[in-house]
Amino acid sequence: MDAEGFDTLVATHHREIYRYLVRATFRASEADDLAQETFLRAYRAHRALPPDANARAWLFAIASNVAKNHFRAESRRRRAHTGVREIRIETDGAGPEGETLFKEARTVLDTVVAGLPLKQRLAFTLRKVHDLDYDAIGRSLACSPDSARAHVFQALRKIRRSLNGYELPVGRDDR
Amino acid sequence: MTRKPSVCQEIEPALLATAIGDADTATAARVEVHARTCAPCRQDLVRYRAIEDAVGAWRGAPAPAEELAHARLESRLAALRRRTLLYRIFPSPLGPILIARSEEGVSCVEYLTGGADFAHSRLSRDEGIEALLDGAEVEALYRDLLEYVEGRRTRLEWPLDLRLARSEFHRTVLETTARIPYGAVRSYAGVARELGKPSATRAVAQALRWNPLPIVVPCHRVIGASGALTGYAGNRVTLKQRLLAVEGVRTRPAHHDFRIERDAMYACAGTDAEYCVPTCGSLAERSLADLTLYASRARAEAAGLAPCTACRPDLHPISR
Repeated sequence: MDAEGFDTLVATHHREIYRYLVRATFRASEADDLAQETFLRAYRAHRALPPDANARAWLFAIASNVAKNHFRAESRRRRAHTGVREIRIETDGAGPEGETLFKEARTVLDTVVAGLPLKQRLAFTLRKVHDLDYDAIGRSLACSPDSARAHVFQALRKIRRSLNGYELPVGRDDR
Repeated sequence: MTRKPSVCQEIEPALLATAIGDADTATAARVEVHARTCAPCRQDLVRYRAIEDAVGAWRGAPAPAEELAHARLESRLAALRRRTLLYRIFPSPLGPILIARSEEGVSCVEYLTGGADFAHSRLSRDEGIEALLDGAEVEALYRDLLEYVEGRRTRLEWPLDLRLARSEFHRTVLETTARIPYGAVRSYAGVARELGKPSATRAVAQALRWNPLPIVVPCHRVIGASGALTGYAGNRVTLKQRLLAVEGVRTRPAHHDFRIERDAMYACAGTDAEYCVPTCGSLAERSLADLTLYASRARAEAAGLAPCTACRPDLHPISR
């Protein structure tokens, strides 16, 4: 892929990669950093990408890796500071305006999805928000397509159980 | 918690797949049939579909600060690009050569005297540079360069990126040197004069010593005012002699160095539009600092010069 191709890649996919990472990290500022990291990695490697490759799936795979590394480093940090067991879901209310917006937009469903284990959360988001197929999700999460599907299904079961009693508004009644 | 009947347990994955639209028609039909008679499963189906619908609203919905993040990425990539060089190391008759280019043009040609390894390159020591190994981007440059070194090409018409120059002065020296035509030589003093700094001869020599683009910026065409080649790429004056020979400039060995054969070259004084035989008028007495010497009439004429109307090199060429 050439430089022009990479520009197109950024223009076409940065926003959705960023959204994916917002769902993965719950924070606009972290998602911003991780999305940059994703695209800087992609920039260094894009010349080796064959022209017929699925660039979108490739970017999601890089983003998933970046997210996994981020949480691995985070949990190491947290172990290092034992006792500081905060779960940071938008704790800094004084943050940039965008983060506050996100906080307000948070629904019960957002909260439930945010509580899923990382792999399930990523698999679920890739499948349901970004419409990746199970092959691509498997490549993103370094597992088989079958395990990718299992992650998504498990995520759905957990969401349903967590919503137990709370009825989501049913959007359509035609099926 | 009550256990589900086994039939419901069995059908659960199919039900899930159906609810989120993953199932094929046969599976979906089987689930629908079951759900018609099983209230709990029917309810599950409704709940999963509600989740599906709610999540559907997330699709395409912008995230907070999205445009800000996008703008930040663009500017960071632009900064990265400005300092990214694509390079590759090639074998050549002159030893391993590294060629690097940026978005703007060719930025570095380097004789790797220490070995054909990036670690021996000056680029590896420059922290302001992101050097990426790339095959395709510099391959064409290499082919041109090889043809040039073999004498099958007289021009390298590449856009140049002179940002590796160390100062504005350095850059001007490189630009001036780049204008010396194929098959011609000038002196360090001559280049200094052209820059309007006649006393900067040594500074010019020093600037060319750090030429980031040898061959392309033809510092091999700049010699001492005595006619001695004086130096090239460290202590590789034979390389200079060889590149000049490719261009038709004859030299003879002279005490650990080479000397051009001035009386075998056509000369052009200052900014004249004509070229002469070396004995025309008082040319033979003039300092090399005033002259550009050409290996042949063809070279002089390729540089846009006309034969002198007094000595008529076209009628009375240098006889050898």
